[in-house]
Amino acid sequence: MLESPLEQFVIKPIIPLHLGNIDISFSQSALWMGISVILITLLMTLSVRSKALVPGRWQNVSEMLYEFIHGMVSENLGDDSKKYFPFVFSVYMIVLMGNLLGMVPYSFTYTSHIIVTGALALAVFTLATGVGIVRHGLHFFSLFLPKGLPWVLAPLIVVIEVISYLSRPISLSVRLFANMVAGHTMLKVFAGFSVMLGVMLGIFPMVVNVALYGLEIMIAFIQAYVFAILTCIYLKDAIELH
Amino acid sequence: MSPTPDSADHKPPTKNKVPLSGTGQALRAGTDLVAALVVGGFLGYWIDRWLGSKPWGMIIFFFLGFAAGFLNIYRSQMGQDYKIGFKDKE
Repeated sequence: MLESPLEQFVIKPIIPLHLGNIDISFSQSALWMGISVILITLLMTLSVRSKALVPGRWQNVSEMLYEFIHGMVSENLGDDSKKYFPFVFSVYMIVLMGNLLGMVPYSFTYTSHIIVTGALALAVFTLATGVGIVRHGLHFFSLFLPKGLPWVLAPLIVVIEVISYLSRPISLSVRLFANMVAGHTMLKVFAGFSVMLGVMLGIFPMVVNVALYGLEIMIAFIQAYVFAILTCIYLKDAIELH
Repeated sequence: MSPTPDSADHKPPTKNKVPLSGTGQALRAGTDLVAALVVGGFLGYWIDRWLGSKPWGMIIFFFLGFAAGFLNIYRSQMGQDYKIGFKDKE
């Protein structure tokens, strides 16, 4: 009996826990988030322990990741880049690790749940808005009123700008979540074809699946990159206020 | 005004040469349109429930959401990224 392609996204509790009426079970999603945090910590600490002048393989990986995000942050945020680098780097690593760990067979992709990506996007959105209000006070809300706007149009444009601003966390979270769900469902569907067609014909969907697997790994990197660059852009908007 | 070979493209120079960053930008566009529509529709629904103005809030805010979605895409394609408000082009 074949499982539904969406079966893979079901949250299964490993250690059932209940606090009153709230279900706080330790699920496989939480397990993989924990694994991802441990792996990131190990990668970023162990690999640079030798502090070699000529980096080894692992040191090279962590230096590349660091320089990639450092370049992105300093290009967008300029002088303030040091303050926001840890946040952007953490967001990037947790998304990238989630996407890549999802590609391991039998693992669980926690970035395929809107509650996870939504929480990340809301954190970014709240931070950017908070930074803007702290730095500019009420002047921050002039963001919604473009300069040189005829006053007749102001009510209309302000509403459109507010909608555009509020759509940011939604598009940020839905983009990552939808890409992950779509990709993993597609992999499962083609794998299902292989099972149904048997040994002889089943090789063809498998070839497609290998190609899709490569595509998915590319998507994993691109989506993490997009998440990080948009975090930078939103922070930049709040800081500069043009 | 004779275009030189290297000023042929009107896009702002991408300082950060990330592989596949163009693909990343293309993947952004779709969700940006839909997200603004969702926000517009949700605001309209909420205003209707609050003021009892069914169905006008939903209709008006749906179109405003549409406008905001197109604004999002217009800005990203004009190299203004996702700036709220109009930015002067450098």
